Amino acid sequence: MTNSLLYIRNLSKSIGSITPVKGISFELERGSCTALLGPNGAGKTTTLRMLAGLLSPSGGEIQYEGGGKSGRDWQKRIGYLPQYPKFYGWMTGMEYLIFSAKLSGLSGAQARKRSLEVLDTVGLREAAKRRIAGYSGGMKQRLGIAQSLVHEPSLIMLDEPVSALDPIGRREVMDLLSRLRGEVTILFSTHVLHDAEEVCDRMVVMVDGRIAEQGSWTELREKYRQPVLLLEVEPAAREEAWLRTLPGMPFVESADIRSRTAALAVRDLDQARNALMREMSDSRIRFQRIEAGTSSLEDMFMKVVGG
Amino acid sequence: MNFEINWGIVWPILALQAVLAVTALISLARTATEAVRGPKWMWVLVIIAGNLAGSIAYFVGGRRDA
Amino acid sequence: MRLFWVFFHKEVIEAARSYKWIWVPAVFLLLGVMQPVMMYYLPDILRASGELPPEAAALITTPPPEEIIASTLSQFSTIGLLVLVLSAMNIVAGERTSGTTEMILSRSSSVLTMMTAKWAATMSLLLLSFALGYAGAVYYTYQLIGPLEWGTLAGAGAVYAVWLAWIVTLLLPLGAVFRGPAAAFLSLGIAAALTLLASLLPSQLPWSPGRLSAIATAMLTGESSPTFAPALAAVLLIILSTVAASVLLRRRPLSAQA
Repeated sequence: MTNSLLYIRNLSKSIGSITPVKGISFELERGSCTALLGPNGAGKTTTLRMLAGLLSPSGGEIQYEGGGKSGRDWQKRIGYLPQYPKFYGWMTGMEYLIFSAKLSGLSGAQARKRSLEVLDTVGLREAAKRRIAGYSGGMKQRLGIAQSLVHEPSLIMLDEPVSALDPIGRREVMDLLSRLRGEVTILFSTHVLHDAEEVCDRMVVMVDGRIAEQGSWTELREKYRQPVLLLEVEPAAREEAWLRTLPGMPFVESADIRSRTAALAVRDLDQARNALMREMSDSRIRFQRIEAGTSSLEDMFMKVVGG
Repeated sequence: MNFEINWGIVWPILALQAVLAVTALISLARTATEAVRGPKWMWVLVIIAGNLAGSIAYFVGGRRDA
Repeated sequence: MRLFWVFFHKEVIEAARSYKWIWVPAVFLLLGVMQPVMMYYLPDILRASGELPPEAAALITTPPPEEIIASTLSQFSTIGLLVLVLSAMNIVAGERTSGTTEMILSRSSSVLTMMTAKWAATMSLLLLSFALGYAGAVYYTYQLIGPLEWGTLAGAGAVYAVWLAWIVTLLLPLGAVFRGPAAAFLSLGIAAALTLLASLLPSQLPWSPGRLSAIATAMLTGESSPTFAPALAAVLLIILSTVAASVLLRRRPLSAQA
């Protein structure tokens, strides 16, 4: 693909006896916003650290468009925000940005100019001359995003940028990310599907060091649209025993059986509906609720993450 | 005391001690209460009463890292 | 080289914000000045206290200028060194344990540049403090007690500064592995062990950098001993420490994943 900014092929990382990343492949398109989605411990942070050049991969390949195979030459074109960004509390916000910009090779005048620009972008102009030690969590996170942007990178990688924030801080950062969309390629990790949906057009779902699913938002919505029947029965031994026989029924594609409820994914809704009704009246099942609907990405995510 | 102290010799020592103590007190005043180990008034006493050692103790162990 | 100055500038400002440029030199200057003044007044004080019989007090005289400088150096070796080590103990350990390195190293992968800048900033503080304290001691000794020879003073001062330098440099690799106070304790422990060993076995360990403080003192009192081997060993140890610190920090720059 000519429009890709970053290719990752079969990337893996072992640390001692554990392998947090077990061979993953994906690409980032220029200008896209991709969410790296997955539960805690899925290997998201390790992946981002490898992409940022902080950890060296045990296997596989990271290739940046136009660059060599290593992240080194590319560090200047990447902005990275760790999960728990730590600043020098004795510096002011402005000083930290200038310091960061200079480390990425900007001249003094450029560093100053860009720092002021990104302070405006993240809405910290007022606080620029205050010591970072006095910043709130949301302000620190916005300063973290500002430092990831200060050297005008082509790609910014943000590790769980909102998970440690209170609702107000979270809103500030989510709005900021939505505004940045399109201006810069974004890869951010989160364990909250809703956050991913709000700002991103693509997602990569990681579970246990592997990619469980990836694609554009609409593609995946379509893919996981499947008719489902939801069923709730009276709390009684006979009903509950009957529920457990459902996965064996011919019309059921897959089933999620709890003690009193069942969610049945089916191929043909009408056929399944009839079959289920017949089955229930034959077995004289006392149901409380039956519902027909479609499954969603949320269900898929819960299943992938929970399973 | 039956010998003369030459104040021209001694005053720089007293002045230096004063500089140290004043620097320590300024630093203490400008540090947020949460960033100081222990109560501030205790450090004021230590710096004033403790001479050289008091000021050193404050600079070395009085502040938490931000 | 540009990166070096960016890091160096940051270190200098950081030290300034915690008043290190004032208090560490002030402590050295005090130590340096107090020693000759104390020695100068000691016979008077003893006589005035009346606890010694006058005949005994008369025997106590002010020592020669070279000996006063030598005793000032021994003050620097205890309180002075302790202050230097404690003020610099978090220079690497603090960055590592607080996690500030993660964002820094995602920009510039040159840990060695960062480490060299940290070393240079620490040495600037060390040299400034020692030079002030030493100059103060020399000035007061010269004014109160008697003349000194400039060449000897300069030589002893330089040798002594190298002794301080290698001990403080040990904080870099130790800080890349241990927390600040542990790094400080270990560097002082290593220094004490090497210095003691060198004084116990001077002929077996002629090259030991632990001998440098003793050599400096000996130079003042007119004895000369070969300086080249221990000084070279100290310089090599400094280079090795800085490189090792970079390698260690490069290997584990990240806080544990939560």
